[in-house]
Amino acid sequence: MATEQHPASNGPVKHRHRQEGPQRHIVVFVFSVVLTLIAFAAVAAGGVNATFAVILLLVMAVLQVFLQMGFWMHLKDKGHLLPIIFMLGGFFIAGTCIVMALYWVWWD
Amino acid sequence: MTTAHAEGAAGNLPHEPEKATLEGRNKVLAFWLFLGGESVLFGTLFATFLALRNQTNEGPSANELFHLPLVAAATFLLLVSSLTSVFAIQAMHRGKVAVLRNWLLVTVFLGLCFLVLEIYEFSVYVRHEEFGMTTSAFSSAFYTLVGFHGAHVAFGILWISVLIGQLARKGLTVVTAPKIYVSAMYWHFIDVVWVFIFTVVYLLGKVG
Repeated sequence: MATEQHPASNGPVKHRHRQEGPQRHIVVFVFSVVLTLIAFAAVAAGGVNATFAVILLLVMAVLQVFLQMGFWMHLKDKGHLLPIIFMLGGFFIAGTCIVMALYWVWWD
Repeated sequence: MTTAHAEGAAGNLPHEPEKATLEGRNKVLAFWLFLGGESVLFGTLFATFLALRNQTNEGPSANELFHLPLVAAATFLLLVSSLTSVFAIQAMHRGKVAVLRNWLLVTVFLGLCFLVLEIYEFSVYVRHEEFGMTTSAFSSAFYTLVGFHGAHVAFGILWISVLIGQLARKGLTVVTAPKIYVSAMYWHFIDVVWVFIFTVVYLLGKVG
């Protein structure tokens, strides 16, 4: 643990070496906008096969959520095993609820 | 263990001040557990909505009700506000308190715009479309899910506003930094939930 390096004692100039720029976050933003536009355009254009539209919309949403949780919430960085377990646990229970509710309604 | 002490001058702060103390790291980890719980909460609301979305009780259906331009505007506002809270955290990591405060202010402003848009949307539904909380199972499920998300946005606005005040009084320290970091995580999570809402509620509602 003692090997952890903080540039605190070296003055403000050395702070920059681990500093990530805004570029990659802007790339994530642009991708999010594109995914959102694809989803809205597919619905606004109309005439798209309903089953295909549902799959397309869900894929766009999941991709965007992966991007934002990975980069903006830093889940892709190392040392995030427990957060990933917490979120996957939450998503698993949430998914179970959704499958249960749909099964319940569609079975009749 | 390296132990960082609370330092007033931003230039003396470690690179990631939110993770400089054990308390800060615990706060971030515990907040992830909270977000896992929030996922369950919204999961149950989504499950209810999906089960009841076609039970319109002769009231308006999703397809008749929703206007995509309004939803697109709300989506864009929240997406941009998520990006500005990333910029806020990056400014915090550089120790630039004024820049951090300004990005937080922009984030709060965009959140307020989103909330105003949502209140306008709901008021139009209630007054002109005769689509109230008790109109149908679909309307109850819709208002509960989307309203709960709106309440989260409102709470986030309040929370970040209070933190802006605290930042002005106490400055950026290893005590205030975890609070700001965690509030940014919350704000991203709100945007993530909205991605599912505009997809499942609005766009799939239009598809049928």
